Amino acid sequence: MSQMITIELNGQKQPLPTGSAVSDLLSIIGSDGKSVAVLVNQQIIRPENRSARILQEGDEVELLIFAGGG
Amino acid sequence: MDLLQLGSYTFSSRLIIGTGKFSSATVMLQAVRASGAQLVTVALRRFNREQAEDDLFGPLSAIEGVTLMPNTSGASTAAEAVRAAHIARELSGSPFIKVEIHPNPQHLMPDPIETFEAARILAKEGFLVMPYITADPVLAKRLEEVGCAAVMPLGSAIGSGQGLATAAMIELIIRESSIPVIVDAGLRSPSEAAHAMEMGCEAVLVNSAVAVAGNPPEMAEAFAEAVAAGRKAFRAGLMQKSGSAIATSPLTAFLGANG
Repeated sequence: MSQMITIELNGQKQPLPTGSAVSDLLSIIGSDGKSVAVLVNQQIIRPENRSARILQEGDEVELLIFAGGG
Repeated sequence: MDLLQLGSYTFSSRLIIGTGKFSSATVMLQAVRASGAQLVTVALRRFNREQAEDDLFGPLSAIEGVTLMPNTSGASTAAEAVRAAHIARELSGSPFIKVEIHPNPQHLMPDPIETFEAARILAKEGFLVMPYITADPVLAKRLEEVGCAAVMPLGSAIGSGQGLATAAMIELIIRESSIPVIVDAGLRSPSEAAHAMEMGCEAVLVNSAVAVAGNPPEMAEAFAEAVAAGRKAFRAGLMQKSGSAIATSPLTAFLGANG
């Protein structure tokens, strides 16, 4: 088994295989990524950059969607 | 045709619908369709894989003619609102942003200072800024001067259903304003929406009144009709009020009364 890292996903610890990109994280959690905004360490990661952005130990990832609001 | 103009965008519907507080996404989508709204507000929330139904981007975008207007709810400073706006634009692809900064959950009154600052920055960045504000004519004018697309004074506190408690102040805002004035928050009944439109508001934003109605799609339709009627009445020109009666029937020459 490959080595694991731990990132923080929406404030919760999330283990990931070393070398995982943002796009890998999205498939692991079952999101197609189309309606999700991704921030890594407060930086927006646009869809075209998600497979190139490799996550590191301790990275803080925020995934945001549109929910109901007035 | 009588269109609502916001920046370079035009809309034939003058009812803006909020998507919070509905019993389910299905009911919300039915209500949005029934309302005929072309601008629909949404909020940014953390993704939760257990609550996939929360994700409204796909289903709302599938409704023809709908443009999303994300809000910055949850922000309590200008910096947080600007950050939320950047994230929201990334997701929505829409230049509309409802700047909503209310630091106190007890009354949810918008912070005028932080709202002004966020609006100033975002308008400069090219957003179509729709600030949710207290019904303050001075603040409304300042927001117009920094390039907001509209101002959205509250009728009364968010979700309170207290109607147009600020009607007199909103009239002052309308009188002074060169950008659309849109009543946002507090409306309970379609007649209040009609009243706002008769006063000269360019649109109204309604959420709770529809979301928690007995039958949300029916209520959405009722609001749409009231907004259209109010707008028509405004354009037709309301009669002047008079302190005394002015007869509609002739009072003289009645069956020989002067005989």
